[in-house]
Amino acid sequence: MCFTQNFWNLVVSGLADGFLYALIAIGYTLVYGVLQLINFAHSEVFMSGGFASYFILNAAIGTSQPHGIGSLAFLALGTVGGGLGGALVAFLLERVAYRPLRRRNAPRLAFLISAIGASYFIYNIAGKEFGRNALEIPSPFTNGPVFSIFGATVQTYYVVIAVSAVIMLVLVDRVVAMTRLGKGIRAVAQDAETASLMGVNIDRVISQTFIIGGILGGAAGFLFGLNAGVVYTMGFTPALKAFTAAVLGGIGNIRGAMIGGLLLGIVENLGVACTQASWRDVVAFGILVLVLLVRPTGILGEQLGRAA
Amino acid sequence: MNRITLRLGAPIAAAAMALAGVGTAQAASGSVARASKPTYTIAYEGPLSGGNAQLGLNMKFAVQLAINQANSGTTFKKLPFKLKFLAEDDQGSATQSPAAAQAVINNSSVVAVVGPAFSGATKAAEPLYHAANLPTVSPSATAPALATQGWNNFFRVVADDNAQGPGDATYVVKKLGAKKIYTVDDASAYAVGLVQAFAKKAQQLGATVTHQEAPGTTQCQAGTGNVQQYGALATEIKSSGAPVTFYAGYYCDFALLAKALRADGYNGRLMSDDGSLDPHYVSEAGASVANGTLLSCACTNLGSSKTDTTFSSQFKKLAGFAVGTYSAEAYDATNTIIKAMAKVGSNVKRSALVTALHKVVYTGLTKTVHFQPNGNIAGSTVYLYQVKNGSIVELGPVSKLVG
Amino acid sequence: MTAAPRRGSALRRLWTSEDARRGFACVVGGLVLAVMTGPEGSSTAPTSGFTGSLFHARVIGFIVFGLVLWGLITVRRRYATQVRAFSDKVTAAPRRLLPDKRVRAVVYLAVLAFAIAYPATLNSFWQEVLVDQIGVYVLLAIGLNVVVGYAGLLDLGYIAFFAIGAYSAAYWTGALPIHPPFHLNPFYAIPLAIIAAMLAGVVLGAPTLRLRGDYLAIVTLGFGEIIQIVATNLQGVTGGAQGVIGIPHFSIHLLGIHYDWGINSLPYYYLLLGFVVLVLFGFHFLENSRVGRAWVAIREDEVAAESSGINVLKYKVMAFAIGASTSGFAGMLEASKISFVEPADLTVQLSILILVLVIFGGMGSLPGAVVGAAVLQWLPQYLRVHPLLGFQQQDIYIYLGALLVVMMIFRPEGIIPSRRRKREIGLAEHGVGHADALSGQSGPVA
Repeated sequence: MCFTQNFWNLVVSGLADGFLYALIAIGYTLVYGVLQLINFAHSEVFMSGGFASYFILNAAIGTSQPHGIGSLAFLALGTVGGGLGGALVAFLLERVAYRPLRRRNAPRLAFLISAIGASYFIYNIAGKEFGRNALEIPSPFTNGPVFSIFGATVQTYYVVIAVSAVIMLVLVDRVVAMTRLGKGIRAVAQDAETASLMGVNIDRVISQTFIIGGILGGAAGFLFGLNAGVVYTMGFTPALKAFTAAVLGGIGNIRGAMIGGLLLGIVENLGVACTQASWRDVVAFGILVLVLLVRPTGILGEQLGRAA
Repeated sequence: MNRITLRLGAPIAAAAMALAGVGTAQAASGSVARASKPTYTIAYEGPLSGGNAQLGLNMKFAVQLAINQANSGTTFKKLPFKLKFLAEDDQGSATQSPAAAQAVINNSSVVAVVGPAFSGATKAAEPLYHAANLPTVSPSATAPALATQGWNNFFRVVADDNAQGPGDATYVVKKLGAKKIYTVDDASAYAVGLVQAFAKKAQQLGATVTHQEAPGTTQCQAGTGNVQQYGALATEIKSSGAPVTFYAGYYCDFALLAKALRADGYNGRLMSDDGSLDPHYVSEAGASVANGTLLSCACTNLGSSKTDTTFSSQFKKLAGFAVGTYSAEAYDATNTIIKAMAKVGSNVKRSALVTALHKVVYTGLTKTVHFQPNGNIAGSTVYLYQVKNGSIVELGPVSKLVG
Repeated sequence: MTAAPRRGSALRRLWTSEDARRGFACVVGGLVLAVMTGPEGSSTAPTSGFTGSLFHARVIGFIVFGLVLWGLITVRRRYATQVRAFSDKVTAAPRRLLPDKRVRAVVYLAVLAFAIAYPATLNSFWQEVLVDQIGVYVLLAIGLNVVVGYAGLLDLGYIAFFAIGAYSAAYWTGALPIHPPFHLNPFYAIPLAIIAAMLAGVVLGAPTLRLRGDYLAIVTLGFGEIIQIVATNLQGVTGGAQGVIGIPHFSIHLLGIHYDWGINSLPYYYLLLGFVVLVLFGFHFLENSRVGRAWVAIREDEVAAESSGINVLKYKVMAFAIGASTSGFAGMLEASKISFVEPADLTVQLSILILVLVIFGGMGSLPGAVVGAAVLQWLPQYLRVHPLLGFQQQDIYIYLGALLVVMMIFRPEGIIPSRRRKREIGLAEHGVGHADALSGQSGPVA
């Protein structure tokens, strides 16, 4: 087979991509769970996280070369900063582009279009205010090979992505499964009307859902930007892939989004080995269409309430 | 030019332009304006909105800067006319470009166009410019096909893809002695042509070429791309064992690829083209990654010379951001036009300017501009550069280096 | 509300008062507008754009604007009955007359006469805009209107069919690297381009239209991407990233008449106008036929439609294919007009733009699609010639994005709504029916 030669190398780089997809995909899946809506503007939540962490780290690191414990501190700072930036934008997004429509019980197409509008507005205004060139996030660590596994080199950057993503994914999984907040989210996802009759404040739960998705999406924006830099148009493609991942795993299902993300990342990278790098998106979307045709509910099924 | 002259120059230029404006207004209303120079417009067509806006803005402000300087008399002495600037947005798109071109053509004071910036937009708009006999000097359209359509009003100050590729291949095979070469292009019209020309020559010289196409990423080329694809690609390149990797594309993506390759432990030589000949490549990849990288260009880079630093600082003052890809080319294109206009005299007609541009010789920031009959730049000597200690230094023309 | 102040009942009353909140929203809107129209920032001075627009005298104008807007809204709400009575009185005559077939025919003829006579008086820039930016997009919007407006299906890869039409045109006229068995005049290539796009629509639609609406959206989005990538990568077939140059212009060589459409826009405008009128007639009859009624039934309640014996899948595929073929037709015309096509132009953003045109005009409404496309495509060009309030070309998508959000909040039915659609949205807002085919099994949003 074409991918057997570098199999483990490709799996490693695929996992790195996959963790990012998973983090973004959670935002889609949570919102889909409670609203049955594709949050089309989630790409801009991702972008905002990248920018927030850029400005924070630029001020904090400057031209110094952090190492050791300093690296860890700056990484944490960047992740938190990105998460907060993403959460803020997600919160405002829900307030401005979704809530007025929800009040009116508008048709679903209206939400989708309002989200597309919000997305265009946000990323273009970011370009206007912060410049349209790609910006380098000052690196909190020096990248290079750390260790190898099955002959595949693992870089520092991959380790950073994997560790931070795993921490966040486990946290969000536990939060949704165990806390009061999570209970509210699951209740609204299962049956909003009943939940509201039972005294759940739906508005608040929806706001919180957007914020959780925003934190993960924003943090992903930071992790992504660490290597590739941030720019106002950076959200579109990763978000599209993450959405694919969410559908792949079963939209509305948190663990599904995680598995879908990782799977998509790996398959995409193996696909590159078999075709050309330029066919990568075709591979990804080809998989999506196949999955939808064969198993439209995704790998793990759809219900947020049931699976989590 | 120092700061003081600029400070003085700008208001004077503004006043002069206002006067000139009054002059033409009077002329239009029938009275004879004595001693006031005629005003001509140099237009710029390129993307000012949409995903490629930044590339377009890089050029737009360079054109504007050249025009301001010409009006204030710093770059050209005693021009027999005043210049105005007009920018038209085509979003870099072939479907938007004819309308933008038509807007330029209809403005009767326009005598020349800097642009269109993109090859596709040029292909769609050039028939209109040709019909209007309006000269266009593109700072960035590199598609070879543009010079073969019989448009005598078409010029460009960049070498087309066929000039650079063979020179690069000669150097890699003959001087570096590489038998296996890995080539990557970013799927842009520019890079695809370049990499093909490169591969053809390299194979002629007996090397084997493995090729991958990797579309530019979203961070670098909006809306066109993949995400972080370079991890997998780096693995492929490393395991191919090729001692030289040649990248056709722009600095932004090249920096990402270079980082991925080095992080993966690839030790081979990296090489790229004029799209990557940009200090941003070094700053984005980091000096430790970029050191040793070979870059080529059918241009001599005056990167460290005095003219260039004043150009950079004044550009920044005007635009609010630093010079970027194709800024210097746009600046040269504009000055080439102005020089040709000066040759024509005070009564500049579009058709006369076409003829003058065919003859003009102008030494600019990036190269000495002189056009072949088909509009391509003449004398396409390919120069080689290398990143040493975090800065780009010139090695010399390829023909000499190969010996 | 988490931010509600605990102390000070006056403050709380102010915050909970609808009026005060509306006023707050209006002023914030004014400030956002101030930032939108304000100066640019940069990466080194990320706040300079904000401070330059908010801590500057001009902000007062925008705050005043917000307050005036608030005043207008408040007055309008307070005197809602009077306002309605007044607007009823003003629109009484048109509303009485418009349903009359003869009156409508006269109106349409007058519009057509205007569309024929007026462009000849414009300068060549506007003629160019009329063809490249308005005419082609009107055709695209009418086509997408069938998919989104009539059948309620969300297609986010609409431009893919445009690409297929354009490349078919290039193929049959011999401009591609691969050559057809015989070269055709662009006129004869029209039906072939339409058929190619329609086939693509059926092939994509037949399996995917079984899926729920959201999935369809994402599959079409992916399809759009795939077509663009394929056009870029298959160099030997499509000419790759460099595009295809030299697609011939339309020409007639019949019975001794020789006419070439050439590079001027006006002849293309009339050609396009003719085709648009034909398509409009066709879609108008379709809308009121059995097929059109089936679409309405599917859109309003798919389950009910299915159970009353409508072959839902068949009608969905039909709508999808008709939309696709219109897009292919438009692509074919555009390719021949500018005699060039390149993959870089066929972006997802363009698909979304066309969707915006349809929604702005009014989904399901033919006049809406035409007017929406014409107005939204005309406006940026107008602003580029006459910049207002420091408008800059690179900010156009900020305005379009904001416009979409505001439209969805205040006027989701579009500027010229179809009556049926308006009623459906009203019904959906009261919890009856769906108003689009996106929902599948699940009900309206919580």
